[in-house]
Amino acid sequence: MSRGFASNYRIVLLASLVGVSFVSLGARLVQLHVIDRERLLGYVAKARRDIIVEQARRGDILDDRGNILATSKSQIVLGVDPQSLRESDEPKWAQLAAMIDMPLPELRRIFTTKTRPAAKVVETPKGDLAAEQRFDFARSNEAATAETEPSHPADEAVDENGEVPIQWAKLRESIDESVYDKIVALGINGVYGNREYRRFYPQNSLAAHLIGFVNKKGTPATGIEHYADFYLRGQDGWRESERDGKRHEQAQFRTRSVDPVDGYLVKLSIDAAVQHIVEEELAAIAQKFQPQKATIIVSDARTGFLLALANYPTFNLNEYGKADMAALRNIAVADVLEPGSTFKIVAISGVIDRGLVGPQSTFDCSIDHIEYKGKVHGLPKEDHHFEHPLTVREITSHSSNRGAAQLAMLMGEQAFYDHARAFGFGQLTGFPIGGEVRGIMAKPNTPGWDGLTITRMPMGQSVAATPLQIHYAMATIASGGVALRPQLIKEIKDAHGEVVFAYDRVIERTVIRPETARTMASYLGWVTVKNEGTAPEAAIPGYDVAGKTGTSQKVVDGHYSTKEHVASFVGFFPASRPRVVISVIVDGGDARAPGGVAYGAKVAAPSFKHIGEQLVQYLHIEPVAASPHPALFAMEGGRR
Amino acid sequence: MKTTGTHAFVNQLLIYTLVMIGFSGSVGMGAVWLRHQISVTANRTKQIEARIAEVERHFRETEAAIGTEQGPEALKRRNLEWGLGLVSPKDSQIVRENGSPEERLAAKQNQGLFTDGVSFVGLKPGGSSLR
Repeated sequence: MSRGFASNYRIVLLASLVGVSFVSLGARLVQLHVIDRERLLGYVAKARRDIIVEQARRGDILDDRGNILATSKSQIVLGVDPQSLRESDEPKWAQLAAMIDMPLPELRRIFTTKTRPAAKVVETPKGDLAAEQRFDFARSNEAATAETEPSHPADEAVDENGEVPIQWAKLRESIDESVYDKIVALGINGVYGNREYRRFYPQNSLAAHLIGFVNKKGTPATGIEHYADFYLRGQDGWRESERDGKRHEQAQFRTRSVDPVDGYLVKLSIDAAVQHIVEEELAAIAQKFQPQKATIIVSDARTGFLLALANYPTFNLNEYGKADMAALRNIAVADVLEPGSTFKIVAISGVIDRGLVGPQSTFDCSIDHIEYKGKVHGLPKEDHHFEHPLTVREITSHSSNRGAAQLAMLMGEQAFYDHARAFGFGQLTGFPIGGEVRGIMAKPNTPGWDGLTITRMPMGQSVAATPLQIHYAMATIASGGVALRPQLIKEIKDAHGEVVFAYDRVIERTVIRPETARTMASYLGWVTVKNEGTAPEAAIPGYDVAGKTGTSQKVVDGHYSTKEHVASFVGFFPASRPRVVISVIVDGGDARAPGGVAYGAKVAAPSFKHIGEQLVQYLHIEPVAASPHPALFAMEGGRR
Repeated sequence: MKTTGTHAFVNQLLIYTLVMIGFSGSVGMGAVWLRHQISVTANRTKQIEARIAEVERHFRETEAAIGTEQGPEALKRRNLEWGLGLVSPKDSQIVRENGSPEERLAAKQNQGLFTDGVSFVGLKPGGSSLR
């Protein structure tokens, strides 16, 4: 190549062209990357960059033995795009109808309805992309929403009849993953679903008023779901990424990301088996007596932790939308009632604790009037006539109204009131769920406290309390004289099962001395002794049972009704070494009660016994050495 | 090929330019291939993540189904359906042990150790044997 392979002219021309090309290219690059950089980056960021939220999984709620009470699982909302259906798939429609439990004619109607009136807004279509794209959980909620938003009416293609094509019609909500897999395997073009996390309650109505529920919008509405939402909800993660024109994430352009933190597990103190025993008993009460409402509470006498709490009526947590408002109400804490004779433990323990009476002190309970502070007061009626003066033990076991009134008078109005407050009446127990109310208890020397109050309140009239207050008043005696905090949450665990926080027994205050609690337990033990107490129906063979019946008249139209009563039995066992405290409260079971009156002994005490007998087996409660005399038992109270 | 003179210089320049273009092209193609591989790997990772999510969803569903089946109501229903006849024990059927069950069982197990017949151990060269 003597003169090279090109002439000078050609070389210069070629070099110039290459040079010009490079310069042009450089100029364009400068324009794109320097001059228009911000504008173009903004456009790219707007079109492609995206923050993709990764949802944290809501934590489970477990019972004390690790059984799942509430969990989160994905479910599919199944729909169809009628425009995409193929004739060749029609033979599979019957199979699909059977899978989703829908009548074939109904399914056929949905499939063959291709248009709708333009003005009518139909249910939100859930996307128009291929199914596998929709199920990409890696995409954000926002993006998913954007994909599934209905096209704007203005954008809709309206035909000459004023109709627009239907892009999506819902077939069924809440399809399980396994069923959906089978539906996908059918391969019907145009049938697809959208996945979303839903709260699921495996035990249905079990402990419904304690667990509460999360509504379809994902808002925790009641119960532990609401109270412990801070722990349960977790923390959503996010990542910064890009999408292509079809809104698919371009995984290679992921930049920053924060992993989601799943919600904590909340372990409750309730036991599913105990709760089930209680709910079965409640169902039996409902069937037998058809009350307006009823409550059963079981707690650990040593720690104050709830083992079970159930109300009638109740509801299915998975179908909360079908429940009426009355069933949603946690009547154990949100409703008040006159405690009746169960309230007598206040006056009895008050005089014993203050040393105002001894074992031999007696009170004439046959009198119908008594002088107090210079005035003659009428005493309440008795269900029985007592031939001889009663000791405090007999006042307890026979449930003497006049005896209780005299004991309260011995204490004095203010001391009696203060003692009742110490037991927790008239104030919140601090139970965190259910919308607890204080109850009603008038203060001495206020308009609510009249001349009759000192004779009526000791027998449980002129005072209103929640079932939980009544229960924990009795639990105070079972625990050796200290008021324990009613607790429901036992532990908070992270997603790996590590305990983040553990709750322990909390003593709110000391109400009575341990010796007084021992004496009270022995007195209350006589209540279940045949021919001695009011509720031998509550006695559990082989065990010393302490408790108190209550039969309070309901106030109807401002007067105490003789036809409507609240029957209750509140007690604990073994009396000498309490393990469980059980309260059975039945409101309005008179119509079907023996004799037409819902006495605590007839309506509530048998349920106490039935529950107690089952708990003996389940909780392995050992009998205390048999003794014909409950008063001789040693009481250890909460000092173990 | 001459190595001096204008033409030679231009020729060399052209050759170097072509080499540079070829090299740059190769680097560019390499970069594109690299980006493609990154994309493939990222998409594969995404698919695996989606698969893991799917497995976890099935796991949660199974867990919930097990939770349902282990509920007291379901267990009682199964007991009836399958005619198992399982009932809670009655108190009279229960024998309560006050002592340690381990010690009691160990004592029971070892009870016959020194009393169940007499064994003699004979020692002889090459090992022992029971007679």
